[in-house]
Amino acid sequence: MKSAMRVRVLGALLLLAGLATTVPAHHSAAMFDQTKTVELTGTVRLFQWSNPHCYIQLLVRDAKGVEQEWSLEMGAPMYLYNRGWRPSTVKPGDVLNVKLSPLRKGGPGGLLLDVRTQDGRQLGKASVQPAQAAP
Amino acid sequence: MRRQGFAWPAVTCAMAMILAAACSPTQSEAPGTALPDWSGVWIAADTDIDISGYPTADSPAGMAIDLLDFDAAPWNAAQREWMRTELPKIWAADALRRGQGWGYPLMMEGVAPMQFLVTPQETLILNFYRDIRHVHTDGRALPPEEDRWPTPWGDSVGHWEGDTLVIETVSVRNGSVLPLPLPPLSPQARFTERLRLSAPDRLELAMTIEDPATLTAPWNLRFEYRRAEGIDRLIHDVMENDRTAVDGDSLTIAPAP
Repeated sequence: MKSAMRVRVLGALLLLAGLATTVPAHHSAAMFDQTKTVELTGTVRLFQWSNPHCYIQLLVRDAKGVEQEWSLEMGAPMYLYNRGWRPSTVKPGDVLNVKLSPLRKGGPGGLLLDVRTQDGRQLGKASVQPAQAAP
Repeated sequence: MRRQGFAWPAVTCAMAMILAAACSPTQSEAPGTALPDWSGVWIAADTDIDISGYPTADSPAGMAIDLLDFDAAPWNAAQREWMRTELPKIWAADALRRGQGWGYPLMMEGVAPMQFLVTPQETLILNFYRDIRHVHTDGRALPPEEDRWPTPWGDSVGHWEGDTLVIETVSVRNGSVLPLPLPPLSPQARFTERLRLSAPDRLELAMTIEDPATLTAPWNLRFEYRRAEGIDRLIHDVMENDRTAVDGDSLTIAPAP
C-alpha cells in the first residue's frame, strides 16, 4: 500500500519542478488552488465533451448583476463516462450549481468538483470504487 | 450408389479432418492449456477518478505513482546529479506540450483505463489515450540492434509461462508524449514484466527495469489492476481541445470559442 507520506513527498518533489501530481489529467494541477472551494450558480453556454479535458462554460451573474463567463475544467470523457456522464448530460440553458477549485492566479475559471441541478440532484455517479477495493 | 454411399462418408471425413486441421484454434498451440480471460476494462486497483480528472479526496493512494517515485529508483550518481540540475528545466519546458498519450512505461500505472487483448500470436495492451503496445508471442525475437529505434512504447516480445505472460521490452524513448515527468531512463533500458491474473478480477504486474546507463541495480515495481465496474468500453477521441495556456509563471484555461 502506498502511504500518504509518500504522496506528500512525491507532491513536494514535483512541485519543486514547477509541476504537480498530474497523473490522470494531462497537465499540472498546480494551476488550481485545491485548498479552496468556490460555489457558483449559473447558466450553461457550452459543454465541451472533448479530449484531453471536458469543459463547461457557465454564465454567472455577480451581486451587481454583471454576467461573467467561467471556464470550468473537467477530466477526459473516459472519466466522465465512467461516472455516468454523457455528451447530453449538460445542455446549453441548463441552470447548475457547481463547486470548483479556483484558478490560483484568479480569474473566472477552475477545476470542477461537483455539479448539481437546481433541485440538488448530483449529475453522474458519486463513486465507482468497489468497497472491497478501497486501500 | 454403393460406391457413392461408401465414398461420401470417406470424403466427408477427410474434409472434416482437413477443416479441423485448418480451423483448429491456434490457441491450442500456445503454451498452457488455454489463454487467460483478461477481457474487460482494467484500471489501477486503488484509483478512483472523479469528474475533475483527479483521484477522489478519499483516495490518496491513487496519487502515488510508483514510476514517479524517483527516490525509490537506484539511480547512479551521475544520473542523480543530472536529475537535480537538468530535469527541472526539461519539465518546465514540457509544461505546455500537447498531450498525445502516456507512453510506456507510465501507461502501465493503469490510472488511464486499459484493455488487454490476448491472442495466440500477440497480446495487445491499449489504453484510452490510444497508447498501444504489441507484445508478440509468436516466437519471434526482439529486433536486432541495428533495426531498433526508440519510441514512446518500445518493442516488445513475450511468452507464456503457464498463466503468466512474460514480456521483454527494449527501445523505449525517454521523453513524454504527455507533459508528465517520466522517469529519465536511457534508451538502453530493458524492461521485464510478468503479468498474471491474481484473482478473478485482479491483474498483477511485476516490472523490473535494468538500465546500465542510469541505474546501479534493477528497479523493481509492482502494479495491480481491477476490472473496472461501470466501464464497458474505452472512450477514444482526438486530443484537439487542449485549452491549457500560460498566465505569467503559471498555467490557466484559454477562453472558449
